[in-house]
Amino acid sequence: MHAIVPPYLLARLAASPQARYARAAEAARATLAVPRRYRPVRAVLDLSVEDGALVVTASPAPDRVISDAQHREVLPGVRVRGEDDPPTGDAAVDEAFDGLGATFAFFWEAFARSSIDGAGGTLPATVHYGVDYDNAFWDGQRMVFGDGDGDVFTGFTRSVSVIAHELAHGVIEHAGGLVYRGQSGALNESIADVFGALTEQHRLGQRADEASWLIGAEIFTDAVQGDALRSLSAPGTAYDDDVLGADPQPAHLRDYVDTTADNGGVHINSGIPNKAFHLAATNLGGHAWERAGAIWYRALTGGRLTPTADFAAFATATLAAAAQEYGEDSEEVGAVREAWIGVGVIEDGH
Amino acid sequence: MATDELPAARATPEVRITVVRTGGFAGVARRWSVAPPPREAPVWAELIDACPWEHTTGPPTPPRGADRFCWEVAAAHGGDARHAELADQDVDGPWRVLIDAVRSAADDSVAPEQ
Repeated sequence: MHAIVPPYLLARLAASPQARYARAAEAARATLAVPRRYRPVRAVLDLSVEDGALVVTASPAPDRVISDAQHREVLPGVRVRGEDDPPTGDAAVDEAFDGLGATFAFFWEAFARSSIDGAGGTLPATVHYGVDYDNAFWDGQRMVFGDGDGDVFTGFTRSVSVIAHELAHGVIEHAGGLVYRGQSGALNESIADVFGALTEQHRLGQRADEASWLIGAEIFTDAVQGDALRSLSAPGTAYDDDVLGADPQPAHLRDYVDTTADNGGVHINSGIPNKAFHLAATNLGGHAWERAGAIWYRALTGGRLTPTADFAAFATATLAAAAQEYGEDSEEVGAVREAWIGVGVIEDGH
Repeated sequence: MATDELPAARATPEVRITVVRTGGFAGVARRWSVAPPPREAPVWAELIDACPWEHTTGPPTPPRGADRFCWEVAAAHGGDARHAELADQDVDGPWRVLIDAVRSAADDSVAPEQ
């Protein structure tokens, strides 16, 4: 828990003349008397009185800062909305703000992780990057969103799964990172897709069997023949368009694409671990973030994963996380093992 | 004048430049290519020569961050063929000028191979 009661509130409590807060006032005075380092993080404070006692509950709150690149390719751009500011009326700014809020809520409520750094740090994003810019990316410090060219792509902030995907790249980096090339790069991409899909499911309250499992369903224009950029449930089927071609993602290790493009096909081969997560989540049922998502999160953050981990190493990490959380002979370990067997990453009989 | 152009000259253009962009969040590969008529060749040759080809051998080191574009540029000028792979952050200065020129002169099309 990184949230703390701010000093001004303690000061008011300490000075409270009301007898029924006597104990709280005493505690506040004692707390204020202890010298401490004040590290500001934002929190939601819920104050209530129960049986004459003042109850203060605090949970972390996001600290979003949205900047506008004003169609240049220079970061960070001009700051246009902070945490306490009202909506701006600029759709991209407000979509980024709301999407980051949904992602923050997901990571906190599902995994008790506060922000990208796990310590309530700022969520910095830049919108209106470049002219007709067909991309959204994580630059190592901030999330950056283009407006799209209008022919193929609309604005990238329209999709919560895209915003959550970019924030997840920050979480992955803070968890130790996965080198952005080959299989470790495809894992980096896949984990970002998993948390992107889960953020959307969490926001909509969807179970695994009723979710779309699509990434970026909102950002193609009507001219494109396709549902989304990627599908976790059926990699390779998200689009099939005259101009863009067909979704190139494999769903099984036997179809792994060897290429030098795209840092070794990180956005292509991510289909394999994406499908493994979908298999584990739908096998377990219910809300995907509660068990399958928690296992993937523990595998990422548990300290067992090296930055150059391949698919097999990550599969091992998810099995270890599932065993630690639920026991060796649990349904969860079985579902995770079946999932990796299903995509050819581990062999049957292990 | 059309009569000045021999069919053979049109079949083997003096300059041909291809830009392939892969990666990015969407992971959709795109290709732009130009084969300008001989009279425009000197302008394109200048753009090609301005780029530091000799400093970009082999694939770039993995970039910081994620979902950045990856670029490949291939240029043939007469018998001279050059090729470079660039990280998004390296597409700057003369590279940016060349790539932007190719993209605006070419018809958009998708890279046929991954």
